[in-house]
Amino acid sequence: MRITMLTFTSLLILACVVPHPSYAQETPEGSLIGKQIYDKSCAHCHGLEGRGDGSAAENLLPRPRDFTRGLYKIRSTESGQLPTDKDLFDIITVGMPGTSMPEWETSLDVKEREEVVKYIKTFYSGFQENENPPREISLDDKIPYSQESVEIGKDLYVELGCVECHGKLGRGDGTSAPTLVDAWDFKTWPANLTENWNFRGGSDSEDIFKRFIGGIAGSPMPAFQGDTFYHFGLTAEQSEQYATLEKKVEDGEELTTEEEERAAQYFEINDTAATAALDWAEGLEMSPETLKIYNDAMKVVYEKSWHLANYVKSLSPEKRPDFAIGKHVLRSQYLQGELPALTDETWNTLDYSYYPLIGQIVVEPRQFNPSIDAVNVKSFYNDTEVAFLFSWDDKTHNTSEEENEETGKTYEDAIAIQFPVKPRKGPTDPKPYFIFGGRKPVYLWQWKASAPDTLTELTAKGINNVEEQEVQGDFAVESDYTDGRYMLWVKRSLKTDDKKDLQLDVATFVPIAFSVWDGGNGDIDTKRVISSWYSFVLEPLPSTRRFIYPPLVALLSFGLLVGLRRIVQRRNS
Amino acid sequence: MKKTSLFTICLTIFIVSWIFLRFVMGGIISAPIPNSVIAMYMGLILIAILVHVSVEDSRFTEFLRPVHETLVDDSKRTRRLVLVILIPLLMCGFSYTHIAQKTSPLGDPRQAHPKPPLELTYKDIVIDTMQDAQNPYRHYEKDDPELFKEHVDNGRRVYYQNCFYCHGDHLDGKGHFATALNPLPANFQDPGIIPNYQESFFFWRISKGGPGLPPAGTPWNTAMPIWEDFLTQEEIWDVIIFLSEYTGYTYRTFGEGH
Ligand code: HEC
Ligand code: HEC
Ligand code: HEC
Repeated sequence: MRITMLTFTSLLILACVVPHPSYAQETPEGSLIGKQIYDKSCAHCHGLEGRGDGSAAENLLPRPRDFTRGLYKIRSTESGQLPTDKDLFDIITVGMPGTSMPEWETSLDVKEREEVVKYIKTFYSGFQENENPPREISLDDKIPYSQESVEIGKDLYVELGCVECHGKLGRGDGTSAPTLVDAWDFKTWPANLTENWNFRGGSDSEDIFKRFIGGIAGSPMPAFQGDTFYHFGLTAEQSEQYATLEKKVEDGEELTTEEEERAAQYFEINDTAATAALDWAEGLEMSPETLKIYNDAMKVVYEKSWHLANYVKSLSPEKRPDFAIGKHVLRSQYLQGELPALTDETWNTLDYSYYPLIGQIVVEPRQFNPSIDAVNVKSFYNDTEVAFLFSWDDKTHNTSEEENEETGKTYEDAIAIQFPVKPRKGPTDPKPYFIFGGRKPVYLWQWKASAPDTLTELTAKGINNVEEQEVQGDFAVESDYTDGRYMLWVKRSLKTDDKKDLQLDVATFVPIAFSVWDGGNGDIDTKRVISSWYSFVLEPLPSTRRFIYPPLVALLSFGLLVGLRRIVQRRNS
Repeated sequence: MKKTSLFTICLTIFIVSWIFLRFVMGGIISAPIPNSVIAMYMGLILIAILVHVSVEDSRFTEFLRPVHETLVDDSKRTRRLVLVILIPLLMCGFSYTHIAQKTSPLGDPRQAHPKPPLELTYKDIVIDTMQDAQNPYRHYEKDDPELFKEHVDNGRRVYYQNCFYCHGDHLDGKGHFATALNPLPANFQDPGIIPNYQESFFFWRISKGGPGLPPAGTPWNTAMPIWEDFLTQEEIWDVIIFLSEYTGYTYRTFGEGH
């Protein structure tokens, strides 16, 4: 540590003497310190030579970045450009949510992070060769968030083909989603736009704007800059007219001479703008006129993109739902009469409880790269029955088509809801082991996508010791998979005749835990996502005592005060 | 200026203590103090105050004077009125919130570092007694630094292939899987952990994992895997070395040469 401090001091002195290095150049001293930090903190993932092949890399998806190709996802620069030093510094500082790339703010100081930025740039020669600083995306004409802007963005979301990957409602379930691979041929998934806490590069409108204007280099997500835009170069009005004309031609209608001229004119504008965009992207010399054509065209693009960014922003809740581990209780609410069915509006009167899920990495085979963020649950009960509504996002709908060669089991979507067989007697009464029990058994409800109307009751005494119950209980089950979201509705009576089932009593807290399988992500058997133990309770109706006792207490204290005064008065006289 | 009455001073001490216990202390020890504990402390404080004021008769009279005045003096009429309305109202409010409160589930009181078994084992192989078991590669630190470095590097590999998901890149217990776990993964940067335990204790915890804990450690809740199912003895000793090398802490030892 002392040595590094010394080197830093000498560096600081050096920095004052040596002229400030230009964008491209390296100070050899800088890379040396950077190298030490890199070898200690980054190499086990990114590899000693920056090829993304460190010892930990094998289990990780997305893979740690290979720095030798100069492809960076999170940039403030235009498509095809390298990131700025600040981009690299910032991403190292905050990390990449939803991946294994951690934040370094807490363990590397500013100077150290700057040095490591210099060092990782040495892995790609493009940084040295490129004399000009990269062109940054201008955020000047930002359109603030408003409902109106969101509406415009919504149309663009379809127009620009975001739907094909990110799906109709943004849950990453588009038709191309299962086929995507990144620049290194690794499987990659479109982001779930309704969970922006997992965005790699931040969740603000500005961040989102930069992601699709600049593109996410190395990922299949294209940069929506320049001529990828529909009718690039035309104003909204012109574009609308052009579209009508094009439609006419398509339908085999004759155009009038005047219309033909107009169409030709629009074609011309579009073509010139597209050529200008190519010149710009190649960094060619441009005449002031072409530059103007390009800039005007980009104005329209930028405007659209701000609307789109606002729309994407609107898809996620304001923040990740709360989950205080250990205290987060699933409270089933009492209803008089019939419990609501899957599509009943009554469910909307309740908020979901949110249970985060993580990859199961305790028992082999393990899931190091989970694809499901959380399961949401709500519940109602009446005098005899309880109903649950489970919902979770899954980008693919997998029933049981594909088989695992070794086990013959199938990769399919499923969920298991876990309870102990008996509620706990007290805080020292052991629970069963949180993953499928152990010596103490657990009682499970398992649902599989291939049998969408059935629920199977299981008893488990360990993750590999699971049995279907001989007597299967009476459940009402309904389920649905639409636009990347599973909904599962389950109804059971509070009490059953089977001793191996959990019996439910009002106001008794019961441990509850979840396991979810995403067949599309290779989940099978123990490879899946899990939660820890949480608590479930049939919430008793608020006691009517709350209207009786407080007034009594008030009266009593009033009486006491008056009495006290009497006593004192009497004593005085 | 009027002298502050003894009663006001005592009342202030009482209220300030409550505020401190309820809102400040919890922040300092970063866990809210249970209400029952607060009630106990407040009871002690109340007794201390009463003892203090009742040592001398004159002090007691002085202490009660403001109460007395408020109750009967004609000059304190407004104060009396305000209090006679305010106190019952407050009592009413307190009892309402108390009754309407939602019940909470049973807690899981947990001893984070329960007593290890007497013998250290790997699978069924007995290594040594817990007290005497030594890290067989530790001596290279002095004898053969080159070789020692290889063990550190191997430990680093083991750590980042297996442990960092939960225990974090910086060994601070904040891995990207940690959010969903209860209890949270151990934070090795905490000065209360590595320096207080022997390497053999760590070997026990790593090889037997959560399920290997006695009931006091709530083995049913912890996600700490059983690493003897995945790792060799050497890998476990190496990752133990890595933990101390990375954090700069040294494990506790029981005397030299033992
Ligand atoms: C635990 C593994 C791990 C460690 C340790 C790690 N990274 Fe990463 N890093 C990743 C992964 C995985 C990605 C790619 C994430 C993605 O592509 O979405 C990444 C991506 C990056 C990127 C690319 C960001 C972009 O915009 O595309 C940079 C820069 C980076 N890491 C720097 C570092 C530095 C510097 C360190 C050390 C101080 C470091 N990383 C340590 C796993 C790691
Ligand atoms: C060809 C498929 C494809 C299309 C089309 C596509 N995306 Fe993506 N998108 C992806 C993939 C893959 C990722 C994940 C990138 C990664 O993290 O490696 C992604 C990630 C994102 C992210 C998250 C960025 C972050 O910081 O993690 C946003 C926001 C986004 N896309 C918005 C859009 C919008 C808006 C459109 C339409 C203009 C669009 N995408 C079109 C494939 C696509
Ligand atoms: C699935 C998450 C997970 C993984 C992976 C994991 N741990 Fe743990 N570990 C935990 C949790 C949770 C605790 C705290 C509860 C406990 O003591 O069992 C813990 C506790 C520990 C302790 C006890 C510390 C103490 O204060 O007594 C040690 C030592 C430890 N882990 C080492 C490791 C090592 C080494 C690895 C990798 C080989 C590893 N862990 C991998 C979750 C994990």
